[in-house]
Amino acid sequence: MTMTKKVNIIALGMGALFGFLMSRAGATTYDFHAQMFLFQDFQLMEVIVTAVVVAMMGVFTLKYFRINAVVTKTPVDFVKKPYQQGLVLGAMLFGIGWGMTAACPGTIPAMIAEGKIGAIFTFVGLLLGTMAYGVLQTYMHHEHPKN
Amino acid sequence: MEITIWSGWFAGIAIGLFVTLHFWLLGKPAGCSTGYGNLCGLVCKRVKFFRMGEYTDLNNSKLWFLIGIPLGGLISALTSVDSWHLSFDMGMYEAVLPQTYSAKAIWLIFGGMLLGFGARLAGACTTGHALVGGAMLNPASLLAGAVFFCSALITTHLLFGF
Repeated sequence: MTMTKKVNIIALGMGALFGFLMSRAGATTYDFHAQMFLFQDFQLMEVIVTAVVVAMMGVFTLKYFRINAVVTKTPVDFVKKPYQQGLVLGAMLFGIGWGMTAACPGTIPAMIAEGKIGAIFTFVGLLLGTMAYGVLQTYMHHEHPKN
Repeated sequence: MEITIWSGWFAGIAIGLFVTLHFWLLGKPAGCSTGYGNLCGLVCKRVKFFRMGEYTDLNNSKLWFLIGIPLGGLISALTSVDSWHLSFDMGMYEAVLPQTYSAKAIWLIFGGMLLGFGARLAGACTTGHALVGGAMLNPASLLAGAVFFCSALITTHLLFGF
């Protein structure tokens, strides 16, 4: 089996695990989002805070023992997303979308599989929004470069 | 439908371990929103942005991770107490969202567009920035995560009325 195939199969399994955990955590349940932002229930807050703390310890452990990645046998790449122009504006738009749909990109596919019809429309919107960004980038930077 | 929910701290520990496991197995951070660009590239071959950079090879782990998510959601739904069924009910949001099906659909598509466009403009979504970026204490991710949260908080308060 090629490395790409091996990586993709593991990624598929990890995606399934992620979807299952998002669902069990309550992140695919609409009301938990509203209740968190309205300060009525802190299920999701508890989830994210605990998750970040545990993940931090996990990352520290992997770094400390310089553990190699199991599948690729290469050192783990703890690459950080850079600060990019438009980050704050993008994050604001994202937050409005989050408030409007009670979902985020990672939970929507799981919500569709749970039978939530609303998530299908959010999914379509997500593709359109991502596509709009790509079209804008293609048009602005690649076909009409600034001279 | 009613999904069986774990207590917050337990689910949090599981997700924290998941983030660590993802690093350990695949050697790179977990993320969700980038994979939507893979889908865009497969649907529309003419947009160069989805054919270059991190999208040079579309058949990659980001795509397969995204395909895996519904499998997990389905397993969770099938192992919940409530039986699987289709539903357009959005709980508390029913009281504040448009009442007709078509208007609700348009509302959700518009919200989804903001999620998709905003995630690309910010570079990642709740998973990549708030969860994984937060775990690495990446300043850009902490900023993005804080803005995600504040913006969604204000939006939700405007929706439900102060």
